[in-house]
Order: sequence, then C-alpha cells, then structure tokens
Amino acid sequence: MQNITPAIRQGNHPTVEQLEQQLLRGQTLLADTPLHLLEVVGVLESYGEVLDAYSRNLIFQAERQFLNPLPLFRFLDGEVTPAKIWRHLLHDRINFEYAEYCQKAMFWHATGGLDAYLDSEPFLENCQAIIRRKTGRDPLLGLLNPLFPEFLPELIRSAATTHALGQFWRVMSDLFLALADAERSGTVRSIPAVVDFIRQGLVDAAANPITYSVEVAGETMPVLPPEAGLTFLVDVAVPYVEAVFLRGMPFLGTVSFNAQAQQISPDQGQFTYGALFADPLPTMGAGIPPSLLMQDMYRHLPEALHDWYRDVTRGEGDVRVKICSSFQKSMFCVTNAAINGTFPFPLDSSEPGAVAANRTHARAWAQRLSQARTDCLDEEPGSPLP
Amino acid sequence: MLTALLLIPFLGALALVIWPGQPAPETIRRGAILVLGLQLLWSLRVLIGFDPGDGEMQMQESISWVQSLGLEYRLGVDGLSMPLLLVNAGLSLVSAFASIGISQKPKLYFAMLLVISGAVNGAFLANNLLLFFLFYELELIPLWLLIAVWGGKNRAYAATKFLIFTAVSGVLILGAFLGLALVKGQVDFSLTPVMSGQLSMGAQLVLMGALLIGFGIKVPLVPFHTWLPEAHTEASTPVSVLLAGVLLKLGTYGLLRFCLGLFPEAWARVAPWLALWAAFSVLYGSLAAIVQRDMKRMVAYSSVGHMGYVLLAAAAATPVALLGAVFQMVSHGLISALLFLLVGVVYRKTGTRDLEVLRGLLNPERGLPLTGSLMIVGVMASAGLPGMAGFISEFLVFRGSLAAYPLATLLCMVGSGLTAVYFLLLVNRAFFGRLAVTPATEPIADARLDIQLPAVNLRDQVPAMVLTSLVVALGLVPAGLGRLSESATTAMSQLPALVAAIASAGVG
Repeated sequence: MQNITPAIRQGNHPTVEQLEQQLLRGQTLLADTPLHLLEVVGVLESYGEVLDAYSRNLIFQAERQFLNPLPLFRFLDGEVTPAKIWRHLLHDRINFEYAEYCQKAMFWHATGGLDAYLDSEPFLENCQAIIRRKTGRDPLLGLLNPLFPEFLPELIRSAATTHALGQFWRVMSDLFLALADAERSGTVRSIPAVVDFIRQGLVDAAANPITYSVEVAGETMPVLPPEAGLTFLVDVAVPYVEAVFLRGMPFLGTVSFNAQAQQISPDQGQFTYGALFADPLPTMGAGIPPSLLMQDMYRHLPEALHDWYRDVTRGEGDVRVKICSSFQKSMFCVTNAAINGTFPFPLDSSEPGAVAANRTHARAWAQRLSQARTDCLDEEPGSPLP
Repeated sequence: MLTALLLIPFLGALALVIWPGQPAPETIRRGAILVLGLQLLWSLRVLIGFDPGDGEMQMQESISWVQSLGLEYRLGVDGLSMPLLLVNAGLSLVSAFASIGISQKPKLYFAMLLVISGAVNGAFLANNLLLFFLFYELELIPLWLLIAVWGGKNRAYAATKFLIFTAVSGVLILGAFLGLALVKGQVDFSLTPVMSGQLSMGAQLVLMGALLIGFGIKVPLVPFHTWLPEAHTEASTPVSVLLAGVLLKLGTYGLLRFCLGLFPEAWARVAPWLALWAAFSVLYGSLAAIVQRDMKRMVAYSSVGHMGYVLLAAAAATPVALLGAVFQMVSHGLISALLFLLVGVVYRKTGTRDLEVLRGLLNPERGLPLTGSLMIVGVMASAGLPGMAGFISEFLVFRGSLAAYPLATLLCMVGSGLTAVYFLLLVNRAFFGRLAVTPATEPIADARLDIQLPAVNLRDQVPAMVLTSLVVALGLVPAGLGRLSESATTAMSQLPALVAAIASAGVG
C-alpha cells in the first residue's frame, strides 16, 4: 500500500518508548505551560457550550424525528418558524452537521458494546415491534418496509447511535463547563489538574446506563433497554474515541477516494484520520468537516482566549486554524484522561502482574499515538503569553 | 491637449527631484500616485475628445523644432495609439501603487517611473520618426536604472543585458530612419508610407529589416528575447508590471506603425515568413515557459509567446487581424501586469517563487486565498478562456489570420493551448494541494515555505482586483475598444493595396 504523504511535522515527535514512560509515570502528554492551560480550558469551555447544543439536537432527532425518512427540519429542534428557518439558511446557527458527521463516523466504524448490541437478536426483536406499530400508522413507511426490509432497522440503529452520542455529549458538555468553572475558581491550575479533572469526570460517569426508548402512537417502546446493560464509558465513550479521535474518516479533497490510487486503507482499523492525527491547517477548506465545529466554537470563545488569538499570527484572519490547533491539544488531554482512567491497576501498584498489565495498556496506546500529531504537545517557542 | 500628457509626468518627475528635504518614501509615493492619477484623468479627457469614426491622426499639435534635421514636434493620436495611451496611464498608476516599501532613493525611483510613463506617452503620440526615436530612447535609461538599482541579486547582469539589447534596438531603428531620409534624398521624417516610385524594393527591404529586428528585440521575438526573462527576474514587481504591460508594447506598436505603416509593400512581400516567425516565437516562448521553475520567469516566457500573436496578426494585416493585434496588446498589457503583480505578492509573502517549494497557497486561512483566486482568473484569461480579454484578442487574431496563413495560425493556436499547460502547472503547483512547511530534509538551500505566512493587506490587492475586473469587462464588452480602433486598423490594413494601386496608376 502506498504511503500517504505524512503531514509535515514541526515540533518533536516522542518515540513509542517515551510516550509509554510518560503514561506510566502519570505525566501528561501535553506540556504543562500557562499558555496550554489557557488554550485547553478556553477551547473546552466553548466546546462545552457547543456540545450542549449538539447533544440536545441529537436527542431531539433520535426522539422526535424518529423513523422520519425525510427529516428536513431535523436541525431546528422542533421550532419550525420562518424566522428560525431564515437564520438557519443564513448560517446564523450551530452547525449540527458536524454532530451528524461524528455520529456517522461512530456508526460506520461500529466498535464496542453499543454496536454489538445493535447487531443482537433482542435489538432486532425490539425493532420489529416498533416497526409493526409504526408502519400501521404511517403509509409511507408501510410501503417502504416490505420493499426494503433492512431499511427501517438500519434507521433505528442509526437513531440509537444518535441518541447514545447525545447522551455521551451531555455528560462531556457538563464536564467541560465545570472544568472552566473550576479553573476560574482556582481549583484547576495546571495541565495535570485538567487531565485529572476530566479523568475523574469520566470515571464518575463510567457506569451511567445508556438507554433509549421512543414513543410510537402513545406507547413508549424500548430501543436500548436497561437490560442491555450498556454503560457510558465502555460502550459509548470508548467507541467514540476510537471513531472520532483515532480513526475518523478521510476528508473529501484531501486524499483520493479512488480505490486504485490505494491512498485509503481497505482496513478500517488502520484509519488514522481522527482528531489526534489531523492537520489543523486545511481548516475552512472545502470538504473539511471540522471547520464547522471550529466555526461553532468561534462563536462561543471565552474572552481571554479570543484576545490571545487576536494577538498571534493573523489575528481573526486565521482564528479557526488556531482554534483547531488548540482543540487538538485539548483532545490529547481528553485522550490522556481516558487512558489514565482505564489503566487496569493503580499506577503506583508494585505487584508484578499489575505492573505488566499497566505496561501493556500503556504500550498499546503509545503505539497508536506515536503516529499522531504529537508534535503539537511541546511548548511552542516564541508564542507570546496573554 | 496631447502635450499635457507629456507635461504632467515630466513636470511631476521634476517636482519630485527638486522636492526640498527628505520627505518620507510614502509621501513621495503618494505624490507620484497623484501625478499619475492626473495623467490617467487627462488620458480619459483625450478619450472623450477622440472621434472613433476617424481613422486618421487626430488632435494634432505641431511646432517646428530643428528644421534642418527634419525634427518636428508633432503629436497626434489615432485608434492604434489611443488604447495604448490608456493602458500606459492605467498601468503606470498600478505600478506606482504597487511600489511599496521603496526606502532606497525614493525620489529618484518615482521620478524615473514618471519619466518612463511620459516617454511612453511621447512615443505613442509622436508623429515624427525622430521624435518617436527620442522618446523611445528616453525610456531606456530610467528603466535600466530601475533594474540596476532596485533589482534583485543578479541585477547588474540583467540590467546590462537589457541595456545592450535595447541600445542595439535603438541603433537599428535610428539607422533605418536616417537611411530612409538618405535614400529619399530629403530630410523628411513624417509618417507617410514609402512608395515604390521613391525607393527600390531592395532598399525598402533593407530598411524595413533593420526596423523589424530593432522592434523585434523590444517585443521581444525569438531569438532576440533573451534579455527579457533576465530583466523580469531581477526587476521588482512594479517595474515588471511596466515592462510587460507597457514597454513591450512599444515594440509591437513600432512593428505596426513603422514597419507596416512605412513599408507596406515590403511588408506584404515578407509577410509569409513573418507569420512563420510569429508561430516559432509563440511555440518557443510557450515551451520554454513549461520548463520554468521560477514563477516570474514562467510569466516572462508567456509574454514572449503572447507577443508573437501580434506579429502574426500584423503579418496577415487583415482588418480583423489588426484589430486583434490592438486587442492583444491591450489584453496582454492588463493580464501580464496582473500576473506579475500577483507573483510579486507571492514572492513578498513567501520569500520564494520556486514552484518546487510553493504549494497549497489557496489555503483559506493561512494561505493567500484572494491572491490565488485572482491568479486563477488571470491564468484563465491568459489561456484565452471565453468571457475574458484574452479570448477576444486571440479569437480576432486567429480569425483574421487563418485564411491568409493557415499553418502559422494553427501553430499559434497550439501555443494558446500550451498557455493552459504551463499556467495550470503554475496554479496546480503553487496554489493547490496542501499548505505545508518545506521538510528540513529537502535540499533546497535558500527557499523554504513557512506556514506562518503573513496576511495580505486587502488594500494592496486593490490594483490586482481592478485589473481583474478590467480583464473580465473587456472580455464581456469588447465593443467599446473595437469601436475605438476599428477605423484606424481598417485604414492600416488597406495600406498595401492602396500603395499597390497608386503604384500601378503611376506606371500606367
């Protein structure tokens, strides 16, 4: 397979061994500097605001646009007024398309417990019950279902992923906004504290059940029932990290989609197009979906961070590239927190089995991260502080 | 009225030179812009008074100067020189506007710019051969200085080469003019066609040959072109704008006015060979452009190719072809000025013009997206895409020449296709793809691309945007320029037939 031209690195790239040691010693991947703290906390605060809107919309879509084959107004949160449609068309709005893009990435990469459940017999039985009740009252679906029997179950699977992602982001939104409050109140003052705060948030929510039910003709019917035993961390958060942070999807126009060009691996597991691998420079180019997220975050930037962006490079002119760059750093912190939160044993344990297990965990992550844009983790030389 | 077009720039230059004290370069630049703005307004004033229906010289002004030498101060404007006056006025202004950050001898720099602009006006307006020659030479020294003092690393070599070539060009032209007087036996340097009765065909061919090579150096036509890429590479952006946009037109103007205009019979005799020469020049220029790594050299070679169309049209000398020649002069002036401006922006911001180094400059936030977009429009116009000035001129040239010289015209059309090849290479290499720093492993010593490119000030892009608008406007509404020049070019196209008719009447 032809090697894709790697993004050009500027900073240092730690080796697998260095990354592994960092993880095992409990050191953060991102260098602990005041500037990084400003970037990470600020960008996560605006991300929290945006995730709040994304989460509400995804849950609205899964519940209120359920089995709607033509969900024209799905981004309007049920408020279909001429004024809102006008604002939507003028892009005076949150770009929910990005949330949908993440949902599709998760749905398509299909890893973890949620996906396993979506392919299980009990799920299919729930689907059939829902479809029976729904098609009886909806002539279009009544026509579509016998013609394409796989169509409606697939729509329900997609809706289940949508709802699950909405629930995941609900937790993350609250966590990131709480992080900003904690930084303001002085309890979080360093990058290690940020990572620990996020790790604690993830651990606290780890066992939260992920459930989803829909109302069809007055009856509440389960899609992801509590009996499925799906939980926040293992079944949603981990597949999300896998799909969005690591694998991702190649952006249109950046690589050839022609199979003969062999630029995209036929093995989805080998994909490295996620947030931790992405080059922030093409942001705002055609076919670069994270541009939408950067635009959304731009509208919610905290003032201190916005001031700093105004002062460096092209000021407002390339602010979305800078947001993307800061966002990548913050996503390394979130990944760092997820890695720390999933060590099988406490890092200070000296029992040989525990040490070996932790080492295996750290090595596996270090190997994956060694190809990521770890060059952004150093302190950028010459960056003026606010 | 026409004298004002000389007085404004020359007095402006004088005022800049005697300006007391050491004013800031920016102040001097503003002064020059003011003078050149006034010149543009006056050129428009001349345009308003111009009667497009009249193919003869208009608004003539004459003062007897050195009668014994036959030197007469006689100015006039017709449909051939009017559009070129406007191009000169416009591009001189653009050039002054683009002269940002001239810290070294700013007074002299802007004075030289004004002298060039005035001399070019004089050359286009002169209705006396010696007067034309004076202005033709007058522009030489300031341009030499502009390259030699404010040029790039290799400026001394380029400026000297330019000086030698153009001096030879001047000697040949002066020699031809004096020779004409000598063999006619009278000191008459007025612009009237030479009749067979006055001179033998052999004498006509020799004199015209000298003019042809003299102006061929200025155009430039292959193989006399070698000074041009060097001069462009070393000249600063504003000087390149003037050189490509205006000064090369002195060569093509000379071909039409003096070679075709004075020796219509001899011209008709050698025209088939001239058409082939044009095709050779076009193909050579285009093929040479393809292999260039330096963006500016590529644009310079494209000029060599595109000026060949004018020779083709002049060789065919049909009314449509000659109108096409005027269009080609105007559109090439605008398009090459635009391209040089944009290459200048890229060079100023990235520090390199190397097409192996530049990439991804269309990147919307960190690249040069507006420059890139204008460049795409510019190269499309240069390649002759419909809707832009290049299409109209190339279409007229080809349409007017195809019947007379089918082979040469077809070869020139191939050259037009090659324009798309090299300019797509340029756009594809420098602007498309992914913006990225040059890897440290690459063995490129003095040229690296950094992703921290400074942004381009929108105000600095105004000249390029104005030129782009003009290129599109001329492509969409070519009728105005057509009306302006049609009478003059039609009259010129009838010269060979007219002279032949008079000759045969005389014999009969």
